[in-house]
Amino acid sequence: MSWGELGGGALRAALLFAVMGVGASAFAARYRDVRGLLSARWCALIALGLVALADLAMVGALVTHDFRIAYVANNNALETPLFYSVISLWAALEGSILLWTLVLAGATAFVAWRGTVAMPRLATTALGILFVMLSFFLLLVTTPAADPFTPSAIVPENGRGPNALLQNNPLMALHPPLLYLGYVLFSVPFAYALASLILGEGGDRWLVATRRYALVSWALLGTGIVAGAWWSYAVLGWGGYWAWDPVENAAIMPWLTATAYLHSVMVEEKRRLLRTWNLALVIGTFALTILGTFLTRSGIVNSVHAFSLSAIGPLLLGYLVAILVVSCGLLLWRSRELADGGALGAPLSREAVFLFQNVLFVAATLTVLLGTLYPLIAEALSGTQLSIGAPYFDRVEVPIGLALLFLMGVGPQLPWHGASRATLERQFAAPAVTAALAAVVSVAAGARGAAPVLTYALAAFVAATVTQEVARGIRARGALHGERGGTAFLALFRRNGRRYGGYVVHLGIALIAVAIAASQSGTVEAEQTLAPGGSMAVAGRVITLEAIRDVDEPQRRRVVADVRVSGASGDTRLEPSVAFYPNATQPVGTPGIGAGLDEDVYVILAAYDQRGKAWATIRTRVIPFVSWLWVGGAVIGLGSVIAALPPPRRRPVRTPAVVEAAPAGAE
Amino acid sequence: MAAAVGRLRAMPGGLGNALVIAALVGLIVVLALGFRRDPHDIRSAAVGKPAPAFDLAALDGGGRVALAQYRGKVVVVNFFASWCVPCREEHPALVRAWERYRTSDVVLVGVLYQDSVESGREFVRRLGTTWPTAIDDDGRTALGFGVFGIPETFFIGRDGVIAGRHIGPIDEATLIQGIDALRKTP
Amino acid sequence: MNAARWALLAAVLAVGVAALFAAWPAPAGPEERVERIVAELRCPVCQGLSVADSPSESARQMRDLVAQRVAEGRTDAEIREEFRRSYGDWVFLAPETGGPAALMWLAPLLLVAAGLAIAWSRTRARSPDARGSVAGVIAPQPPPAAVEQLRARVAREEAADL
Repeated sequence: MSWGELGGGALRAALLFAVMGVGASAFAARYRDVRGLLSARWCALIALGLVALADLAMVGALVTHDFRIAYVANNNALETPLFYSVISLWAALEGSILLWTLVLAGATAFVAWRGTVAMPRLATTALGILFVMLSFFLLLVTTPAADPFTPSAIVPENGRGPNALLQNNPLMALHPPLLYLGYVLFSVPFAYALASLILGEGGDRWLVATRRYALVSWALLGTGIVAGAWWSYAVLGWGGYWAWDPVENAAIMPWLTATAYLHSVMVEEKRRLLRTWNLALVIGTFALTILGTFLTRSGIVNSVHAFSLSAIGPLLLGYLVAILVVSCGLLLWRSRELADGGALGAPLSREAVFLFQNVLFVAATLTVLLGTLYPLIAEALSGTQLSIGAPYFDRVEVPIGLALLFLMGVGPQLPWHGASRATLERQFAAPAVTAALAAVVSVAAGARGAAPVLTYALAAFVAATVTQEVARGIRARGALHGERGGTAFLALFRRNGRRYGGYVVHLGIALIAVAIAASQSGTVEAEQTLAPGGSMAVAGRVITLEAIRDVDEPQRRRVVADVRVSGASGDTRLEPSVAFYPNATQPVGTPGIGAGLDEDVYVILAAYDQRGKAWATIRTRVIPFVSWLWVGGAVIGLGSVIAALPPPRRRPVRTPAVVEAAPAGAE
Repeated sequence: MAAAVGRLRAMPGGLGNALVIAALVGLIVVLALGFRRDPHDIRSAAVGKPAPAFDLAALDGGGRVALAQYRGKVVVVNFFASWCVPCREEHPALVRAWERYRTSDVVLVGVLYQDSVESGREFVRRLGTTWPTAIDDDGRTALGFGVFGIPETFFIGRDGVIAGRHIGPIDEATLIQGIDALRKTP
Repeated sequence: MNAARWALLAAVLAVGVAALFAAWPAPAGPEERVERIVAELRCPVCQGLSVADSPSESARQMRDLVAQRVAEGRTDAEIREEFRRSYGDWVFLAPETGGPAALMWLAPLLLVAAGLAIAWSRTRARSPDARGSVAGVIAPQPPPAAVEQLRARVAREEAADL
């Protein structure tokens, strides 16, 4: 049995079990029959096993260079190192959908075994919806359009090897799986939301049940985006990390709406408000993940990441239409049950700020969507070809981002319902003074432009409010529980992780904002053609070209420039290079990066003498604070972990007997 | 304004729902229309306009190659480079077209794009290019023609207007078709 | 006015002055003009990168051309027109500010303004009377001092333990 037969067979069998799962869950939900639930559980587990088998078969085929499979022939070669062979699983269209399906099968199995312990009705309905989605993706990978195991028309001696850009950096192992996990995990809140609408529950149980999924999905998406930015920075060689490329936009859009959702959820939990809005945000976020997949996989937009034009576009579009029609229909049908009972507090209350923040996030998302699709719209309407890029997005999104940064400092300080003016003045005096100091210091240090200075001021404002909140929390724990210093600090994060983990995330965002502002406005660039031994000066450093040499590797040939960077803090050696892959039409440059906390030295081998290696053109960028971006990403991850960890069991509290008596799962 | 807001609130979601649904339908239509479009097909703005004049040093080192000297002839301008793999693929088609038309009122001009003179000369020598080739040292000619990525081939009529453009490796039939269409027009 | 209010006002003023000072346009020399033009030109061989960002040879040649034209004394509009002639509107990364494309610049503004207006109307307009009527039905309004006390307690408990 070949890898191809094994994988293809496993996928078809998995499809069978997924469809059976739909039936079993529907039966369980309709008749509240435990046999249905048990069957659904086993269907989910078996489907997961089969999809995992198919993914392993693909990895096996890649590792053993089985060019009888077209995907392997197109994305692998005999010389490809083992590591890149394995991660080639997500290097192209069909493989990445295979990975996507695996994650979805995993999420389905997890919900089947864990989620259905309590609340069988809501959970089994949600499980049925997850099975429907899984069936769709399995249908996709078993149609000829996207079948990853399609045999090669002619079995070649050697494959074409992975895309040169994708085999140049190990970050490629991290960035796509993180994004896929984030994308796919959001299916769970979506499925629960839809289930709640179908059952007409009207309450917030779906939301409580899926809060953690949403948070984890959001965190994975966010760290995946940062990892992608890092990959872009380390591989593409232009010294930037974000180009407002359509596929980057496709990843940021659901992240933006999910951020809005994580905040508005709290309004529903605390105040029982914004029910329709929260459902709409979950549906919108999920639809945006599918839209993102569609944009990447259909090839209708041009992008660094877009896979080649493919036939699965119409299928994905049909899926998107189905999702939108079903969700909007359900929302309209249930609109009466979903009407809010109460009213929002004063404009200066926490819930109001959350709502303003939501408006800004949604406006930012819609603007990104509009900018991404505008070339398509313009071409459909007038036939002209247009471009929308960084100059547009920067100008439009930066003011919205600054407003959000401001609200990020304001929101946590405001109590629910509203506060008196005097209280607010007291609370905001210290953070505002900190912001002013940051603004003045940055101007004195030579910052130019209103946006960077405002960013520094607002980031300091956020940091100060977080510090103030933590200090207040510690004092409160001292007063209420008699804890002091470190103990109180740790207890704060352990017992109320959702809140204080959230503050850690806010700090991460502030770090990222500073990194973006500083690197966008403060980069110094110089370029010079040097003979070996020659040197150039840039931003107080001396860059010396020591040698140019050839490096031969099995899968590629490289030309490496040995560069010494001498600064006040000593010497660093960097090796910017250009790699030639047999299957690439253009050489792939790799920058040499001397990373530091205050600035990165980013050296590119822009051109060199191909004959005698007598000269090389070295481009150097000194980029301030850019590494704070990756640190900020890690801080966001840490904050999310704190927020997602379940708090320790509390001491028993006295609660009304009615609630206690309700048996788990009674509907 | 206040009255309008009040009316909006009295009619829960009516107008809002309609707007949202209209926007979603519009989104789907735009995406569906996207299928009719090939993102790699970028139309040139230079087509239909007079070809930008150039006067470049010949690759073989002897004299200059200027567009003006071919006035009244059909000119095919082909941008190429030694590092470009598809340029090597399309070369036999260019050779055959050149053999076919070289004695008539058709000129094929090769323009070396972003390449060193030595590599360009070696490419021409190894593959046997016998038509006039020129060095576009500072890339101004390519920028004037609106070149995106090579190989790229432009068809210029007797009137000096760019009549057509082909992106990517060209084949013999496309060349003949383009040239013959221009030869028929006076 | 108390000290906190003074500090707040002074801080906001300081941030504003600092931002204004930093935004004050420096006299635009030829280099700044070149930077401004190439930041909006799309590099033809890259995917979505501007000429300013792209490390490619084509981008370098375009930048050289812009620099030469600036040195020759051409206006920004003339230089842009030259690129439009060969590459069409495709070569500009931002939509025009006039004509139908102006909608692209207005849309974000309209979205934010409309959204904030709706959100604002939900907060201020409804809360006082709604709260009053509910309170009126269920219980008499507690004295303001008691409300403040309760609020303080809620805030303390929230800070301490969810």
